[in-house]
Amino acid sequence: MEDFLTYSVILGIFVTTFKIATPLLIAATGELVAESSGILNLSLEGTMTLGAFTGFLVANETGNLWLGLVGAALGGGALGLLMAVMTATVKVNQIVAGLALNILGLGGAFFWYRSVYEEGGAVAFPTVDRFQTATIPLLSDIPAVGEVFFDQHWLTYFGILMVPATFIFLNRTKYGLELRSIGHNPEACDMRGVGIISRQYTAVIYGGVMAGLGGAYLSLAGGNQFFDDIVAGRGWIALAIVIFGNWRASWILGGSLLFGFLEATQLSLQASGVDLPYQLLLALPFLLTIVALVFNRSRSQVPLSLTIPYHRGER
Amino acid sequence: MSEQVADAPQDSPRDDHEADAGRDPLSMLFQPGAWRLERRLYTRPVYELYATLIALAVTAVIIGLLVIIVGVSPLDAFASLYEGAFGNRESALETLVQATPLILTGLCAAIAFRAGVWNIGGQGQFIAGAIGTWWVYDTFSGLPAPVLFVAMFAGAAVFGAVWATVASVLLVRYGTNEILTTVMLNFVIDSGLSWLLSGPWQANNTPYSQTERMVESAFLPRFFDGSRLHLGFALALVMAVVVHFLVRRTTLGFELRAIGVNKQAASYKGISVGAAVIAVMAISGALAGLAGAGELLGLHHRINFEFGGQAVGFTGIIIALVARLHPAGVIVVAIAFAGLLNGATQMQVGTGIPAALVDVIEGVALVLVLLAAVACRYRLRKIAHHG
Repeated sequence: MEDFLTYSVILGIFVTTFKIATPLLIAATGELVAESSGILNLSLEGTMTLGAFTGFLVANETGNLWLGLVGAALGGGALGLLMAVMTATVKVNQIVAGLALNILGLGGAFFWYRSVYEEGGAVAFPTVDRFQTATIPLLSDIPAVGEVFFDQHWLTYFGILMVPATFIFLNRTKYGLELRSIGHNPEACDMRGVGIISRQYTAVIYGGVMAGLGGAYLSLAGGNQFFDDIVAGRGWIALAIVIFGNWRASWILGGSLLFGFLEATQLSLQASGVDLPYQLLLALPFLLTIVALVFNRSRSQVPLSLTIPYHRGER
Repeated sequence: MSEQVADAPQDSPRDDHEADAGRDPLSMLFQPGAWRLERRLYTRPVYELYATLIALAVTAVIIGLLVIIVGVSPLDAFASLYEGAFGNRESALETLVQATPLILTGLCAAIAFRAGVWNIGGQGQFIAGAIGTWWVYDTFSGLPAPVLFVAMFAGAAVFGAVWATVASVLLVRYGTNEILTTVMLNFVIDSGLSWLLSGPWQANNTPYSQTERMVESAFLPRFFDGSRLHLGFALALVMAVVVHFLVRRTTLGFELRAIGVNKQAASYKGISVGAAVIAVMAISGALAGLAGAGELLGLHHRINFEFGGQAVGFTGIIIALVARLHPAGVIVVAIAFAGLLNGATQMQVGTGIPAALVDVIEGVALVLVLLAAVACRYRLRKIAHHG
């Protein structure tokens, strides 16, 4: 245990915290925007998996990681578009639609991956030359702080940047405020002439794009390959983070970092050979999610019309 | 809706007919406002069935196109899929073997969804059921065979129900979103099972994470020589009937349907929503638990790390939704999906299409069935063109 509390181990935990928090943060800020418009997109897990795959596919075929990110955004956005069609236009029950697209995203990624990379019943497990961390000159030379804050992936900086950006968008811009008012009271917005469906499309597709990018972090930056279980529950945890972050961008940052920290601690405990069943540590993030949902029940910021479809002229 | 009705000219059908007289029907079709999408006041249940069938037909077309893109003739693909699923007596019976847990997990999702409780934890409750079965087997192995069988199934049902109840108690007591808690509990019990298999329950003298093999007296009887079809299939069918009667003919069934339509109205009527939610989740979890017992006692006879690998709990959700939550529909859809799973292996060998095509078929079918279910509540109506 004393070995565990060394400077380098603790520093490593903080560095890893940001790496683990990144996909959660990107997906959760996107989902926050989607939910602000009144549409709960439960398909994050499948969308992230599809994004992780399309990102990997494009990066592997073109050899360009940045094009890979575009591919991930397109993959996630396509599923987001389908979600928008099903919920904003056709008004299928949002929970059911989300579950359906979750399955379609997962199944689509599994099938597509195999039809491209499977030869004679076996997958070759191709890899890409993944993103290196973007070291920021000078700032990264600061001891400890530099390593934790200024030697991370571009996607990590992007995820953190999305927190204030999402806050400003939702609270300080006309379009964002209109989006939130749709989430609270679509009838009033409709009377004011604010186009509901177009804004819901924008918000849900944006959420899909972000989930796709969150998935691409896993296959192009955090790791260098795609496999079926690559997302491993992170989509669901991102959904939980939006809830116990009480639909506030800043709390979502806090929630993601808390998760990243606990997971990073778990990983280095495991590495240091602490005598605990590793399965307990594996189950920990999911148990903690449940505990967090039970103890943080503040719902003051929930969009009041979340999951309720709006039909003009009906009550 | 009222707006649309108000906009429509209040003509009698006879006037409609006169207005149409002498017009070219095609030009009618393209006149603005000549056709109008209206919400039906009442949708006949049989329309839902038609809509579902049309959706499945469109699914076949889309999957056919996908298969063409992969570079295989869709006729070859579907033929080998069918051949592997129902082509001969053996494969048809094997399809029923695979349908057995799917019927139960389908019912698990259907009954909970009917009450508007989103139990996504069928997978975890399935594993809890297997754990419960093994625990009873391990603890009470001295019991005479018939009693032991009853005890093992009861153990499975109780473990499945308890695992579901964790989520329902949190939902009723704290309002914790049951979708997320049931999903999280799936991951938690995966780890729990992994711990049991590599620790307390690990078989002696093996590096593998698995239990000992059960003694043969604890195997479920099989129906035919040369087929793995076991008594669990009959149990699944019985459970479908039980669920049907429970939902349609009992007080709890009435209550859960009422909650599913409108929780607030149900509670004003004097229904204890919390108690009903807990009861429904327990039943739902018990059904998935029974699926775990059936797989363990009828098929695998030991728990290993692959036990939950077929994801029967998740497939059960798709089955329930495609079946529009009807127990009889669950049986039909479960057998059809089991046929897909069973036939996909042959399709992969025969045509080289990855068996994961089944995942896409399931996803596309579900999306289209959901869209069709909404579409059948509307109708296209021709209205008279004035001026």
